Amino acid sequence: MRSLYVLVTVCLLLAIFGPMLASHDPTAINIPNRLRPPGGEWLLGTDALGRDIFSRLLHGARWSLGLAFVVSLLGLIIGTTVGLIAAQGGRVADWIAMRTTDTFLAFPELIAAVVIAGILGANTGSLIFALTVTGWMRYARIARGIGLSVGNRGYVVQARLAGLSPLAIARWHYLPSLLPSLTVVWTGMLARAILGISTLGFLGFGVQPPMPEWGTMLLDARVHMRSAPLQMIWPGLCVVISVLAINLAGDALRDALAEQDAKT
Amino acid sequence: MLTVDNISVRRGVSTTLEEVSFSLEPGRTLAVVGESGAGKSTLISAILGLVRCSAGGVSWNGAPVSRCRPALVMQEPRAAFNPRLSLRRSVMEPVVAQNLVFEPERLAMLCRALEVQPDLLERRPDQVSIGQAQRMGILRALIAAPPLVLFDEPLSALDAVTQKHTARLIADMQAQEGFAALIVTHDLGYAAAFADDIAALREGRIEEMGTAQAFIAAPQTDYGRTLRDAAFALGALERVA
Amino acid sequence: MIGVFTGFLLRAIVVLIGAALATFALLWHAPGDPALAIAEARYGQNVSKEVLDFIRSEAGFDDGFWTAFWAWLSPLMLGDFGQSSVNGREVWPDVVTAMSYTFPLALVSLALGLAVSVPLALIATRKPGSWLDRGAVALASVGVAIPAFWLGLLLILLFAVQLGWLPAMGAETSAHSILPAMTLGFGVAASLTRIIRSGILEARGQPFLPAFTRRGVARRDIARDHVAPHAVVPVVTVLGLELAFLLEGLVVVEVIFARPGLGSFLVNAIFARDFPKVQAVVILAAVIFVVVNLAIDLIYRSLDPRVSGRDA
Repeated sequence: MRSLYVLVTVCLLLAIFGPMLASHDPTAINIPNRLRPPGGEWLLGTDALGRDIFSRLLHGARWSLGLAFVVSLLGLIIGTTVGLIAAQGGRVADWIAMRTTDTFLAFPELIAAVVIAGILGANTGSLIFALTVTGWMRYARIARGIGLSVGNRGYVVQARLAGLSPLAIARWHYLPSLLPSLTVVWTGMLARAILGISTLGFLGFGVQPPMPEWGTMLLDARVHMRSAPLQMIWPGLCVVISVLAINLAGDALRDALAEQDAKT
Repeated sequence: MLTVDNISVRRGVSTTLEEVSFSLEPGRTLAVVGESGAGKSTLISAILGLVRCSAGGVSWNGAPVSRCRPALVMQEPRAAFNPRLSLRRSVMEPVVAQNLVFEPERLAMLCRALEVQPDLLERRPDQVSIGQAQRMGILRALIAAPPLVLFDEPLSALDAVTQKHTARLIADMQAQEGFAALIVTHDLGYAAAFADDIAALREGRIEEMGTAQAFIAAPQTDYGRTLRDAAFALGALERVA
Repeated sequence: MIGVFTGFLLRAIVVLIGAALATFALLWHAPGDPALAIAEARYGQNVSKEVLDFIRSEAGFDDGFWTAFWAWLSPLMLGDFGQSSVNGREVWPDVVTAMSYTFPLALVSLALGLAVSVPLALIATRKPGSWLDRGAVALASVGVAIPAFWLGLLLILLFAVQLGWLPAMGAETSAHSILPAMTLGFGVAASLTRIIRSGILEARGQPFLPAFTRRGVARRDIARDHVAPHAVVPVVTVLGLELAFLLEGLVVVEVIFARPGLGSFLVNAIFARDFPKVQAVVILAAVIFVVVNLAIDLIYRSLDPRVSGRDA
C-alpha cells in the first residue's frame, strides 16, 4: 500500500517537475548525434532526429498525464451535471438526459474518439474534445443512480420544501454523497484517458510532432524498430507504469470506501 | 385556509386517494387517522405537491400551496437532516433558501419553547437523541413562520414519555404561532387529545369527518366505531373519554 | 419479458437514430471544404470551380443539414451505405471484405482470452492470497495497463524482428493472425481474469454458504449450484465493456499489423476524408455494439431474478 502511494506521488511529481530535470531541450534537433545508444551524455540515447529521449519522456509526462487529467476532469464535470439533471429534473429531463447518454455510449469510446479527432483535424484541441465527448457517460450514469436514491431522502425533500434552489440542493445535498463513487470512477477514466491519448497519438490523430507525447514518440520509434529497438521500450513503459499506478490507486480507494461503508 | 378539493391520486393501476375533500383554517388542527396503507402519507405528498393529483386540486387561500412555503415534520427525525451538516445549517435552511432576514431572537425563542439547548445546534444529527432530533425537526419547520405545517406521524419514532412531551410541545407551539396543522397519525388517542377535527381515512377515501369530541363520543360509521373501539381496547382513549 | 424486450428494442432504435445523427453532425461540421477534399482525392490538385460545384450538388452539400441528413439516412435504413466519395465504389462490398478479416480475428482473440482467463481465475481462487493468486492478480493488473499498440509492437519486435519466427505484416496466411490474436487475447485475458476472480470470491462470500458446508453439502455441489451461477452475473455485466475493449483493440492491432480489416478501413477512410466510408464503419460499429449490449441486458435479466422488475 505504501509503495503505491510512493508510485502515484512519483508520477505526479514527474508530471509537474519532470521537465526541470530534463538534461536537454526535448525538441532540439541534433542530426550528427542521431540514434545514439543509451549511456553517456544521453541517458536513454537519442531518437532519429538526435533528440534526447530521456528529456522527451520527462516532457512527455506533461502531455500524456496532464492532458489525461484535463480530459477526465472535464468528463467528470459534464457527466455529473448531466446525471444530476436527470436525477433532479423530473421525468422528461431524465428521459432526454439518459437517452443522450445511451446515444454516446452506442460507440466504443476509443473508436469514437479516433473518428472525432481524425475528422476534426489532428491537434491538441480536437484531441481534448474527442476524449471528453466520449468520456463523460459513466459519470452521468453513476451520478444519476446515486442521485435518484438521494432524492428520496428526507433532507432533500425538506430542502425542496424550504425552497432551496436546485443548484444549492445539488451542491449541499447531492454532491457530498456522490463524491466518493465519482472519485473511484474518475481514477478509472484517468487511466483510460492516458491510454486513449497515447493510442490516438500513435495512430497520428493526437498530439502532433515535435511535441514529445508518449504515443507520438512510439509512432516515431516504430520506423527504426530494427536499428534502435530500445527506443520503443521507454515510452510504452511510461504509459504502463502510470496507468498501473492509477489503476492500483483506484482499487485501493474503492476498497477503502467499501470498508467505510461497511462500518456505517 | 387550506382547501383540498376532491383530489384523487393514482399510482400505476391502483388508486391511493379518491375524491378527498376538506378544508383547514389557520389555528386549527386536523388529525387524519387510519390504518397503514390507507393513503395518509400520500395525502401529505399530494398537499405538498410531491405527487401529482390525477383529479382535483389543492390550494392555500386560492393560490398554489407551495407559494405559502408549507413545512413538514417527518416521521423519522434524523432522516430529515443531512448527516454531513450541522443541525444549525439544516435548521437555518428555510431562512437561507427564502432569503429571509435572520432573527436571532426567533431562533432563541423557538429553542426555549421547544426545550432545545442552543449548543446542540452545533452537533450533527447522529450526535443527538431521537427526541432531540424531532424537536429540532419541529424547530426547523417553524423557523420561517409558515402558515401551514404538516406532521407525518410525528410521534411514532419516539418512546412513550417523549411522545407525550412532544405532543404537548406541538400543541403549545400551535397555540402560540397560530398555524394550520394537519397531523397524520395512526394513534386515535393522540388525535382525540390534541386535534380539533378528526378525519378517518380508509382505502383512500374519507370515511368519516367531524369534531374530535363528536368522533369519539358517537362515530357515525362502522369504520369510525372500529377505530374507536380498537383505541379503547388498547387503553389509548381513557384519558379523553 | 416481452414488454421488457419491446421497451429495450425501442430504446435501441432511439439510440441508433441518435448515433446516426451524431455521426452525421460531426462530418457535417468537419473543418475544411469536404468537396475540395473529395475533388483532390479524385482528380489531384488544381480542381476547377465547376468540378467543386458538381461534387457539392452530387453529395447534397447545398441542401442544408436536415435535408442532407434525411437523404443519407433513408437509404441507410434500407441497408444502402452509398458510394465512396473518393473512388465512387460501393461502400458495402468493401465493408464486407474488411469484416471477413476482422470478425475471425475478434472471435479467435476472445476464445484465446477465455481459454487463459477462466482456468487462471479458477486456479487463483483456490487459495485466495497465495502466491499463485497474487501472481495472477499482478499479471492481470499489468495486463490491463498495457496499451494494445505497444504490446503489438513488442511482439513484432520479439517474434518477427529478433527471432524471425512469425510474419508481422499483412493477413495472407493464418500464421499472420497469430501475433494479432496474441495481442488482443492478452488484453481480454487480463481484464477477464480480474473480473472472474472477484466474481468467484464474491459468490463464495454469500452469507448462507457456511451453513451448507456445516450440514455436509459437498464442496463440488456448492460450487456448481451456488458459486458458479452467482459468479457469472458480474462477468455478464461487463461483457459489453469487454466488447468495446476488443473493438478498440482491433482498430489499433489492424493498423500495426497492416491487416485489411475494418479498423484499417476506418483509419484509412479518415485520412482520405472519405466520409461515406467513415459513416458506414461508425454506424456498423454502433449497430453491433447496441445489439450485443441489448442481448447482454436480456441475458443479465434472465440470470439475476432481482433485477427483472427494475428499470435499468
